[in-house]
Amino acid sequence: MEFTALFLAITIVMVVAWFGRRPLALALFAVVLAASVATYLHHATDALKLSF
Amino acid sequence: MTRAFAITLNALGLYAVALVLAGAFAAQLVLHELPCPLCLLQRLQFAVLAIGPILNVRFGPRPSHYALSLLAAVAGAAFSTRQVLLHILPGDAGYGTALFGYHYYTWALIGFAAAIVLLAAILLFDRQFEQGAAAEQPAPGAFATSAVWLVIALTALNVISTLLECGFGACADNPVVYELLKRQG
Repeated sequence: MEFTALFLAITIVMVVAWFGRRPLALALFAVVLAASVATYLHHATDALKLSF
Repeated sequence: MTRAFAITLNALGLYAVALVLAGAFAAQLVLHELPCPLCLLQRLQFAVLAIGPILNVRFGPRPSHYALSLLAAVAGAAFSTRQVLLHILPGDAGYGTALFGYHYYTWALIGFAAAIVLLAAILLFDRQFEQGAAAEQPAPGAFATSAVWLVIALTALNVISTLLECGFGACADNPVVYELLKRQG
């Protein structure tokens, strides 16, 4: 469900970038980027079996 | 580099993103391989990458628009690097089918790295920014407009695709069936 919401949000940002005001598109972009990073952190739970 | 040429390059970038999104759909539909959450996040970042070029086509090239794409590409590279590292140990077959010897997440990492280099390269050309932000931007041509709508349509298709795959709950770590179709079937 979270991916559906994110893809929908990106579609909206694209439509705003094309038809709407630039500052609004920039603000929505920041929200979408933050949400995608938060989703990544939520899903990135498996420990990496690496040794550096 | 003139302003018009920069806009043409941005339109080409949008077609490149559209090709990636269409290719991901092709793998999903032809090979019946459902994308995992990390795979979807990488697909998502390719779509986010397109917002900068859309703004460049609509409002004219600006460094801030390229910066948006750089941020999206760096995030996408981080997501795909994690998936590469998850399957890096010897004996791990990786997730999904390999294409020309590399898995999709490896190709995604290469794609995001290439995007970072290309964005940095296009930022080197100052003449594209000379007209100034206050100048009126001419209406985009059919080539650029088609690119914008193609990317928007493919992103919108992902809304439907992810809804079918994940349903109204959290997406499975290793999805094998479309949750929404399974419930209805």
